[in-house]
Amino acid sequence: MWRSVWFLLFALLVGGCSPPDARPLRMALASAPGNLDPRFATDAVSARIIRLLYRTLVDFDEQFRPVPDLADWKVVSPVHYRFTLRELGREFSNGRRLDSEDVAATYRFVLDPVNASPHRANLQRISRIETPDVDTVDFHLDRPDPLFPGYLVIAIVPREEADLGHAPVGSGGFALESWPEEGRLRLRRRADDVVVELLTVKDPTVRALKLLRGEVDLLQNDLPPELVGYLREQDGVAVERRNGSNFSYLGFNLQDPWTGRREVREAVAKGIDRAAIVRYLLKGGAAFAGALLPPDHWAGNPNLHGYDYDPDGARRLLAGLGFGPEHPLTLSYKTSSDPLRLRIATVIQAQLRQVGIELDLRSYDWGTFYGDIKAGRFQMYSLAWVGIKTPDILRYVFHSRSLPPEGANRGRYRSAAADALIESAETASTLEAQASYYRQLQALIHHDLPYVPLWYEDHVAIHGRSVTGFTVARDGNYDGLNHLRPQSRESL
Amino acid sequence: MSRALIAVLIQRVFSVFLVGFGVLVLVFALLHLVPGDPVDAMLGETARPADREALRERLGLDQSLPVQFARYLGGLVRGDLGRSLYSDRAVTEMLAERLPATLELGLAALLLALSLALPLGILAALHPDGTWDRTAMGFSLLGVAVPNFWLGPVLILVFSLGLGWFPVSGRDAPGSLVLPAFTLGTAMAAILARMVRSSLLEVLGEDYIRTARAKGLSPATVVLRHGLRNALLPVITLVGLQLGALLSGAVITETVFAWPGIGSLLVEHIQRRDYPVVQGCVLLIAMGYVVANQITDLFYTLADPRLRERT
Repeated sequence: MWRSVWFLLFALLVGGCSPPDARPLRMALASAPGNLDPRFATDAVSARIIRLLYRTLVDFDEQFRPVPDLADWKVVSPVHYRFTLRELGREFSNGRRLDSEDVAATYRFVLDPVNASPHRANLQRISRIETPDVDTVDFHLDRPDPLFPGYLVIAIVPREEADLGHAPVGSGGFALESWPEEGRLRLRRRADDVVVELLTVKDPTVRALKLLRGEVDLLQNDLPPELVGYLREQDGVAVERRNGSNFSYLGFNLQDPWTGRREVREAVAKGIDRAAIVRYLLKGGAAFAGALLPPDHWAGNPNLHGYDYDPDGARRLLAGLGFGPEHPLTLSYKTSSDPLRLRIATVIQAQLRQVGIELDLRSYDWGTFYGDIKAGRFQMYSLAWVGIKTPDILRYVFHSRSLPPEGANRGRYRSAAADALIESAETASTLEAQASYYRQLQALIHHDLPYVPLWYEDHVAIHGRSVTGFTVARDGNYDGLNHLRPQSRESL
Repeated sequence: MSRALIAVLIQRVFSVFLVGFGVLVLVFALLHLVPGDPVDAMLGETARPADREALRERLGLDQSLPVQFARYLGGLVRGDLGRSLYSDRAVTEMLAERLPATLELGLAALLLALSLALPLGILAALHPDGTWDRTAMGFSLLGVAVPNFWLGPVLILVFSLGLGWFPVSGRDAPGSLVLPAFTLGTAMAAILARMVRSSLLEVLGEDYIRTARAKGLSPATVVLRHGLRNALLPVITLVGLQLGALLSGAVITETVFAWPGIGSLLVEHIQRRDYPVVQGCVLLIAMGYVVANQITDLFYTLADPRLRERT
């Protein structure tokens, strides 16, 4: 009997697994894509994979300016944009040619309230879509908006396909090879038939160990900085960084008697040693931020760098309010339960204690934390804005009519000057004029301090020497997979 | 089968349904009471209120909780656990896809645990307070004390990275079951070994064992046939309990080893507040517990003639 048990155990352990397939190039992800239908997908991983499978009318350049992807455009009038499809990227993976009806069908679907697409909001200015011929699409708006082309980033889907969430068909550089389980997606690069497998491995340490053992070829982001530092020291591993644009900040409740006072907010800004945090906690993997839009954004303000560490200045400001290290001002500081965010919050707590602010640190699970922030139940909190491309976010975050739930002005910042600048930017006829207003607006916000700008965290890609050709994108997308290739043995 | 036994069976099946319903109510209520909205998680920070409402309506989350629960229950009766809020896939399909991996891991861990626990427990009971006993109980203490989230990465470091014997994680390479099964099975082996030891020690002091020895039976026959057979009854109960726990206890192990089972599915979808998937996973785990316990009880009743007579 025992022999049978041992045999069964052995068979289960060693032979009970599926046979290995031919080894594709592998990238490990922290979470699985939820839905690969671009009309519904919202999570970052899905959006990045969708970029590989489909193409959009418009993309963004390095300064986040809208540039043609599938189509060139011309402004016929401030409320009429004509898009002409280019030749490149016109073939769907089902073999059919993409035409203007596919473009119109994609956008009409998103705009139809019955479909409840999460991407409808930005497109609501579209009043009518017309297709004069197979290569031309006309978008008519109900009012002018110079930012409009930047909203046309929904990937174009073939009008006849129904189940795109699970069987995506696009005209991008990759096609779906197979999707055997939620956390294992195989894509085939259409140019050279190279297969890339996207594997979900939740635990960051295990992801790093898989890379070291050669079970995966590539990782990108979602790794604690100390793990990146460890990997950098290993043989056979290359770490590549790229400046990111995700904006980390401290937010204040401006309706609170203490955080509503600018002197307190300035004391907090001056009491934080960002250089030490970036150097020791983030291992140098971030650039100081001065505003929500990065300085090289077409509407960014390169003159803003945030507040320098000035503990004496912070003490003076607090002394003016009757506080100091002996008699500290107590503020509550909410953050998520993410270990790195919690460590950063602990360091900020220690730094501010030196200048006379005692932080009551409270960390919550994401749902509770986010619920409190939206409801205004905070004095101070830390968060980040992720994936921001167009400057209309500034209205959403800082306009006095953007209080939750209408917008994300969670600190209840009210400034007539800021409102006027936002409205002027929105009615400006050119991007240059808009940029000028947005730069003034960001300087004003930098002064008023509803947010303490902290940093933009870098994107980091780590790969084994078995592959080459991957470049890290500015917004952390996976476009580098278009050029990833196995390293030839001779060059190893 | 006697009429009394059939009555017991019916009673047990009824109680399974009752517990299942209780779990359903509890999970549904708790999930909806926990702060955090799937619509927030799906739409992100910049969504407009109108779009939030539209999506809430599409997902049926705009209706009152009793209505949502009634709809869920109606679906359940038809074998429909709903669809994932994110991927729009049928939850039953997702569970069916993941269940084999969890069962495979659970079964391997159980076999590993039994094959470690029985010899260790027997050796410890045969040499009380001796070296074997101390070693076996030391192992057992270690097995209970070491958490899986630590043991898993340590095993990976040693056996995958250091020795290169097994893959780090996943389920697609030969030998990929070894480390997760060992991680999951160790704690179970430790508990079972202690139980086997104490139960066997007690039995070995009984009169009928002395009688067996007096009859001139070999020590192996006395221990294995007369001693272990009787000592295993409480162990069977414990194995039954652990069987259920393997379904839920595998959450950490599956996450560490990227094992595509029910546990990792649950973790992924809790973070997304994907109610139907979380409900489906918890219901499956709870029912696994209940059914395992009921089967154990029945088996116990069948195995012990005294209990059978009582029923």
